[in-house]
Amino acid sequence: MILIQLVLIVAIVALMIRFLSSRGSNQTQAWKKLLLMLFTALAIIFVVWPESLNTIAHFVGVGRGADLLLYSLIVAFVFQSFNTYLKGKEEQRRFAKVASKVAILEARLNNK
Amino acid sequence: MQDVYIIVPAYNESGVIYGVLSDLLKNFPNVVCVNDGSKDTTAQEVRKTKATLVTHPINLGQGAALQTGIEYALLDPKAKYFVTFDSDGQHRIEDVKKMLQEIRKDKHDILLGSRFLGEAKNITKVRKALLKAAVVFTRTTSGLKVTDAHNGLRVFNRLVAEGLNITMPDMAHGSEIIERIAEKKFRYKELPVTIQYTDYSQAKGQSALNAINVGFDIILNRIVKK
Repeated sequence: MILIQLVLIVAIVALMIRFLSSRGSNQTQAWKKLLLMLFTALAIIFVVWPESLNTIAHFVGVGRGADLLLYSLIVAFVFQSFNTYLKGKEEQRRFAKVASKVAILEARLNNK
Repeated sequence: MQDVYIIVPAYNESGVIYGVLSDLLKNFPNVVCVNDGSKDTTAQEVRKTKATLVTHPINLGQGAALQTGIEYALLDPKAKYFVTFDSDGQHRIEDVKKMLQEIRKDKHDILLGSRFLGEAKNITKVRKALLKAAVVFTRTTSGLKVTDAHNGLRVFNRLVAEGLNITMPDMAHGSEIIERIAEKKFRYKELPVTIQYTDYSQAKGQSALNAINVGFDIILNRIVKK
């Protein structure tokens, strides 16, 4: 096994453990954990047998495994960005609610 | 007029807010000015009047300011009618009186001011085109045949005040209110009002580019409905 494979596998496993130990018990959280485990399994397979990624790439009509990885990365990145944007909007809304309540309370106190 | 609350959202309006609130207070006893985290002396100017001052700790946007004002007014169980009124002096008090007379007939839950049924004095071509485009957009997304989507002058009853729940903090609230009317089937009507464009209100108005932000947010909000 070459060094890079070892480094990657350690990193992947560490990430998985880190995420799986995080709290949160609703359904979306559960799905995320299942997806993460799938990701970990695939990542390790591709690190240990890089040729398998090439084979899949050829099967779906992409030249190299590395290219396939790049395309998936772009899709995942855009998805993630969009998600973050929506989360930001939602946070903004919640924050506005709190600030609004503070303003009302303060005004009530001052006008007593 | 004890049952009427005038809600005036204000952001950096120190130059005109005193005059606008004073004129309102001559006609209406309950005026709530929501200072939306202004960086200038708006708060001090409001304190010089008898208007109630509600101050956002930070700037949240006009939609949030309106929602805060409505929630404050709702705390008074005697409040029956709610009026939103822009702080830059572009609306006329005669129009408010006319709208209040109409809503007291109890045929409608909400009355919307329309400058295109009425008069828009000194409006620029760009602004007119922009507002017309906003109307087409709002008509498409809400299905209501309104003629003016972004007029700050509105009069509504308690049912609407409780159900409006504006969540778009920024300028998108204009379309959001129309959509809410469609969604909750409020009885609505547009009344002609006169908008007096001054150099001041012109300069304070939204830039054309912001329309893209607003449009994007509204569409996004429709797609991602929880």
